[in-house]
Amino acid sequence: MVVNTCYNFMENLKYFEILKMNAELKDQMKSDPYNVSVISNITLNQFKEVLELPLREKGINAIVEIGDYDNIVQDSIKYKKSNLVVIFWEVCNLIDGLQHRIEFFQDKEFNQLIERTKLEIDIVIKNLKDTQLVLFNRFTSACFSNNNIDENRLDTLKNVLNEYVALVASKNIKIIDIEKTILNIGLEKSIDFRFYYSSKALYSIDFFKNYVNSILPFIISANGKSKKALIFDCDNTLWKGVLGEDGFDHIEMSRETKNGQIFNEIQNIALSLNKKGILLGLCSKNNFEDVQEVLDSNPDMVIHDENLTIKKVNWIDKATNIKEISEELNIGLDSIVFVDDSSFETNLVKEFLPEVTVLQVPKKLSDYPKMLRDNISLFYDLSQTKEDVNKVKMYKEQAERKVLEKTSNSIEDYLSALELKVVVKKNDSSIVPRISQLTQKTNQFNLTTIRYTESEIQAYLDDENVVIYTFSVSDKFGDNGVTGLCIVKLDKINSVATIDSFLMSCRVIGRNIEFSFMNFLIKELRNLNIKKINSSYLKTLKNSQIKSFYNNCQYSVVDSSEDKIEYVLDTQKHKPNKVKYINLEYYGK
Amino acid sequence: MENRIKNVMAAVFGISIEDINEESSPDSIDNWDSLNLMNLVVSLEEEFDIEFDDSDIVEMLNFKLIVSIIQEKLSN
Repeated sequence: MVVNTCYNFMENLKYFEILKMNAELKDQMKSDPYNVSVISNITLNQFKEVLELPLREKGINAIVEIGDYDNIVQDSIKYKKSNLVVIFWEVCNLIDGLQHRIEFFQDKEFNQLIERTKLEIDIVIKNLKDTQLVLFNRFTSACFSNNNIDENRLDTLKNVLNEYVALVASKNIKIIDIEKTILNIGLEKSIDFRFYYSSKALYSIDFFKNYVNSILPFIISANGKSKKALIFDCDNTLWKGVLGEDGFDHIEMSRETKNGQIFNEIQNIALSLNKKGILLGLCSKNNFEDVQEVLDSNPDMVIHDENLTIKKVNWIDKATNIKEISEELNIGLDSIVFVDDSSFETNLVKEFLPEVTVLQVPKKLSDYPKMLRDNISLFYDLSQTKEDVNKVKMYKEQAERKVLEKTSNSIEDYLSALELKVVVKKNDSSIVPRISQLTQKTNQFNLTTIRYTESEIQAYLDDENVVIYTFSVSDKFGDNGVTGLCIVKLDKINSVATIDSFLMSCRVIGRNIEFSFMNFLIKELRNLNIKKINSSYLKTLKNSQIKSFYNNCQYSVVDSSEDKIEYVLDTQKHKPNKVKYINLEYYGK
Repeated sequence: MENRIKNVMAAVFGISIEDINEESSPDSIDNWDSLNLMNLVVSLEEEFDIEFDDSDIVEMLNFKLIVSIIQEKLSN
């Protein structure tokens, strides 16, 4: 293994060490925040800190926010102003349990799923069209593929979707081949199925570390921190041998010899970087005339004088030389990569010029080309790929027009196409454990966050002055089960009801189901002769997104403090704002 | 060993080591939710080079239990 790359400093860090270092760095960051949002249909909370740490270490004040679970479309609106959006979209969880269910799909269902996902891709890309940078992971079925020659249906699905994304992606979107990361560390180490079946988390810490390495060049470039110059020592770095001792005829860099091949490859890698605008230079302890002679007339040299922007060939120490290079080229020390075979020289430069990225030629010479290739990403420049974009521009524009036609009222159309159905039940005593569990586990969409045990729920069910409404949500692709709950206390004598609890699981947030349910609830209570409904919002660390929920449902504020807002609603005056695309059915008693 | 566990827990839950005692559990540590439990599990696995199975994970209800589960793993 070559370990001389610059980015993998996390490789040997344990996750808790990453957490610790990241917490320490957080307080030291002074630059403007660089907001990164991760939108996904799986759980990947560990990704946050594994991404923040290497960015902060490079002086980028990264603040990574992980979006709501399985809310890609909605989050693409919420986070469109972020500096960077990363999309983890897993085919296996397009529908719960898809990896095994898909084999039993009728062709019609299969095609519907493809069409629905394409529509979602269109909407997401449209929503993110002005976002500075979007990293869109290619779909993968690797973790659920059959280990044989047959393509399974999940494979087919991901192939179709990948082709589609490549076709419609706008130029701010970089498509990331996530399978390269899986290839680098192996499938077994990439996936932790324990947490897939308990929490819908798929990837391991090792996976995230490697994945972050693969996307760093894009982020570094977007922050204007790409390297600009590659400076080589000469002896045993650009060629095999020592010019001053072995002589002009005995240094090796031709394809004809075993060692020569390696240095030939190194020079070719450097030359191709030079063709992309990277500055090349020499920093070598040699007689200037000797090196110049090699440059001018050695037939094996790939790099010539015209490729070299600067030459420091002298007997002065290399730290001084590199400092001068930085001044003369007018680039920062942190834009320079320096390659040398001597550990004395590399350590000297590291010591005196810590901003410079220093690479040492590996002891095992056959690793040298890979080491350099692994570091090419340091020079990656987002703006360089514009030409490629122009080539396909016309094609893309055509595709974009189609997207616009299809998604004129994007979210509404999307939600309509889902054929959402909400089934409300009253006092369903068959699901007491589930009701209790919902009160225990729901944090985000939970207006009062009161936790109940099973016996407390049972007591409520036995109390004729308390009503528990539960609801399940389904769409044409399946049922999410019981995901919402509302506990109402009745004061029949005074015709007053109080909403004790109202909550929904995060799986169904973002579909306006809460408004549909509230319309129903108000009507239902009115039918029970209730004239006034009291409700409240109790602030917690996690429920700020629904702070205005009751305001949006026409409730009036009666009292407001830092932690609590109390509301009231006159059921006679309420004008329902119907959610057209939700079909609500009620089974009362 | 207990100190190593505390060290890991402090980093995962974002609290100081002094705040962790024998009885520490989701009731006394605010950040001890299901997601952070997952983080704790992988962190302890890295630290002690062990692997927990599902039945171990559901029993990680407080600091004392975590210590005994790890002791058992290490002695096998």
